[in-house]
Amino acid sequence: QSVDFGGLRADKTAPVEVTADSLNVNQESGQAVFSGNVEVTQGDMHMKAAELEVFYASDKRSEITRLHATGGVTLVSPTEAAEAEEAVYDVKAGTVVMTGNVLLTQGDNVMSGNKLNVDLSTGAGTMDGRVRTLLKPAGSK
Amino acid sequence: CGFTPAYGPQGGAAKLLEGVEPAAPTTRDAFALVQQLNARLGASQVTRYRLDYKIDTESVGQGISPDNATTRYQLNGTVDYTLRDATNNAVLLTGRVTSFTSWSATGTVVASQAAQEDAHRRLMVILADQIVTRLLSQAPGLPE
Amino acid sequence: QDNTATDAATTTQGAAIPSSDELATLLADRVSIRNQNELVAEGNVEVFYKSNRLSAKRVVYDQKEDKLYLEGPIRLVQPGQSQAVILASQAELSSDLQNGILLSARMVMARELQLAAARIERRDGAITIMNKVVASSCEVCRTNPTPLWEIRASRVVHNATTRQIVFEDAQFRAAGVPIAYLPRLRLPAPGVRRMTGFLAPQFRTTSGLGPGLLVPYFIALGPSRDLTVTPYVATSRTETLNLRYRQAFNWGKMEWSGALSNDDIRSGTRGYLFGDLEAQLPREFRLTAQLRLVSDDSYLLNYGLGDDDRLWSGVELERVRRDEMIWTRVGNIHSLRADENNSTEPMLSGTGEWIRTFRPAGIGGQGSLRFSTLATRRASSSTLDLNGDGRPDGRDMVRGSLTADWRRNWLFGPGMLGSLEAQFAGDIIETNQDPAFSDTILRGQPTVAAEIRWPWVKTSGRAAYVIEPVAQVVWAPDHLADAPNEDSQLPEFDGGNLFSLTRYPGEDARETGLRANVGLGWTRYDSSGWSLGVAAGRVFRQRDLSQFSQGTGLSGTKSDWLLATHLATANGLTLSNRALFDDNFSVSRDELRLSRAGDDFNVSAGYLWLEKNPAEGRDDNMSELMLDTGWRWGNGWSGTLSTRYDFTAERAARAKLGLRYQTECIAVDLSLSRRFTSSTSVAPETDFGLSVQLVGFGASGGAPARRTCGG
Repeated sequence: QSVDFGGLRADKTAPVEVTADSLNVNQESGQAVFSGNVEVTQGDMHMKAAELEVFYASDKRSEITRLHATGGVTLVSPTEAAEAEEAVYDVKAGTVVMTGNVLLTQGDNVMSGNKLNVDLSTGAGTMDGRVRTLLKPAGSK
Repeated sequence: CGFTPAYGPQGGAAKLLEGVEPAAPTTRDAFALVQQLNARLGASQVTRYRLDYKIDTESVGQGISPDNATTRYQLNGTVDYTLRDATNNAVLLTGRVTSFTSWSATGTVVASQAAQEDAHRRLMVILADQIVTRLLSQAPGLPE
Repeated sequence: QDNTATDAATTTQGAAIPSSDELATLLADRVSIRNQNELVAEGNVEVFYKSNRLSAKRVVYDQKEDKLYLEGPIRLVQPGQSQAVILASQAELSSDLQNGILLSARMVMARELQLAAARIERRDGAITIMNKVVASSCEVCRTNPTPLWEIRASRVVHNATTRQIVFEDAQFRAAGVPIAYLPRLRLPAPGVRRMTGFLAPQFRTTSGLGPGLLVPYFIALGPSRDLTVTPYVATSRTETLNLRYRQAFNWGKMEWSGALSNDDIRSGTRGYLFGDLEAQLPREFRLTAQLRLVSDDSYLLNYGLGDDDRLWSGVELERVRRDEMIWTRVGNIHSLRADENNSTEPMLSGTGEWIRTFRPAGIGGQGSLRFSTLATRRASSSTLDLNGDGRPDGRDMVRGSLTADWRRNWLFGPGMLGSLEAQFAGDIIETNQDPAFSDTILRGQPTVAAEIRWPWVKTSGRAAYVIEPVAQVVWAPDHLADAPNEDSQLPEFDGGNLFSLTRYPGEDARETGLRANVGLGWTRYDSSGWSLGVAAGRVFRQRDLSQFSQGTGLSGTKSDWLLATHLATANGLTLSNRALFDDNFSVSRDELRLSRAGDDFNVSAGYLWLEKNPAEGRDDNMSELMLDTGWRWGNGWSGTLSTRYDFTAERAARAKLGLRYQTECIAVDLSLSRRFTSSTSVAPETDFGLSVQLVGFGASGGAPARRTCGG
């Protein structure tokens, strides 16, 4: 059962849905802060966090440019899961940068490091900072 | 001139008498060494100190006669010993004593074998005496 | 972008993570995941799997094929059986590091044997196949790249399970010069202690047999038995087959060694058979048994098998506890000495001793009960004394003795330690073939002794002193029934029996009469670690009962002076001397011993002077120097020199020079020895031996001193 090592994928054009316990919006700066069991979904990708700051395009209020999740973030796709302390999702660029005790699991392989950035369109991910990976050799049971 | 009887009040060695228990012997040499230590210090009644020892002996052929008979053997012996406090097993002293005895192999075979056994016993007496003499000189520093 | 993992609905938490030792861990500065199944790790990459460790500059992990593609200086450490470390520039390995190929690699085994190869292939974790290999255990430096010896081979296979290395079309080079070609060479991997095969050959030249070669072949018969077959062929002229068989049991071990020879020294087949057995019996008894058979008197010397001239075969049983000792020995001796006749001397003998010590109630002190016995038998049964040794040639004797002993110490006065000792010894002696003695002799001897020791001590800043005067008076009846004396013919007089109740080595004779033993000891212990001890003693007798012969120093009413000195220094030098001399200083015995044990230099030297004493079979003075010394001077060279010089005969009895060159990859032993003694059966002989041992194969550990490069 070979697991696709495709990394995290998401369609950056899909709508972003955010649910949380509470929301407060700052009119002038156009900044919105969700807090309490924040859940973000875009296509197959789900992100959970304690707190999420949403940044909108300065010209078009309705277009989200960036999501900044803090307080322990988990990013889940059908085949992988990533945990870290913080995550920044640049929607326009389609990249996620997770920092702080990053733990990435894919099937039986587990990888930990300080910084993970994933290109959501290609699924390519790079982990930096004394990365530690657990591999399961074919031979073992 | 600074000398005092070892077993006297200032000598400090009286506490060795009937106070030292050598480790149980497992060889004949060790048995002879323990017998001489007990003869000199008295078998321990109130065990204040425990004495561990390791005996090494080696005999060397000597007195090679012109017709190639080995007429004399020298028995070299060394004892490394450790004196411990019987109450808490702390190491108080360590030391090494060496000496030699010898025996002739000119008589009959039976006489030479008996002389060899006696050389072992005599060597253990000498080494035990050297240990006791060393303990006498260090006794003042030992705990009661 | 279809997501093929249809069945991968396993939520991440639910996936069963295999136990930790099944997983290989990869550490790197940067890890990126590329297209399908590739993980690229860069910067100080390390991979751990069980006890194997790998480090590399860059690693690509292909998950689908479970392969690691490695670049940069690769270092793979596999402790396991082969203790191998592999260095390579490029490699492709399975993720458990067990199988794969390494290019332009160098494999170092047990930090000793190095094999440089163009290609190393690992197969199913245990087989290592190397191509175009140079193997050596010598340190190779840039300054002198050619090692002392090397083996070049087109193909080398190392099997970690059988722990053998097989070289195929191997070329052996010494200092770069090819000297041997072998289509196939099988050697034990480093650290192997028991493997069937040839051991290092030895070259030996003796004046008796000419130049010869010994080629030992070792056969391991399972974990606890082995057989070594060593043919020895010498040009002028011997064909000898040496055999050695060893077997270990859980209760002990056994070793047999023997040889059959056909040579020019003596006609007919010659040989020897030695057997040794050690056994641990129930209830703490220890049994040792020994067999010594030889075909003729000179065989052992001709073949350099030691200079033991009285071969004892017999059994010994022993058990020693704190308050009890049991010991017995029964055996027969075959003498190789020219002047000893195996039938008129007591060759078959048995002796035994059972001692029990206890603390008697009431009277205190220490008691001991000792039963001892001696039985001696001469093969001849003649009652005449044809060999002139003063005893009938066929005399046999059995003695049983029971000795009860009690001793107690008292402390009195200003630090005086007194002691009383009482002993009763009873003997029953059966004699035959000796008209001088009745068949059965019964005798008993009471002995009482009183001793006073008055030790004084002084400790000044620099040193501690001990002065110990000792006086002892011993009484035993003057007369004791005479008995055949077999075990008490060779008495000695030294610090070990100055204060003992008998100075005879055995119990056939016992010391009689009233005598006083006096001694004084002076010892200084310096705080810097050296110590000097001097002790003097003398025996005064009420009457000269002519118990001891003249040369022993114990004869007459006043014994010789006994003077013993002993010097020991902090760095391991000891010098001891013991002298017996009479009132006008004529020395009857003097023995000097000097020894210093150090790792770079050790010496054991001695001088022996014994006045002639026909009663002890010594017809002229013995004056002999003894020297055994060994020293080690730098980079692997060490030498030994030993000699015995007989001043009375004005020539050396023995001389031996040994030279050893040992580095991390080779051990060469050179020995030259000369025995000057000669007798009717033995001619003087010179023996030259050479043996070369390659270090790095099997368990022949190299010298700790690794030669360093750039020297």
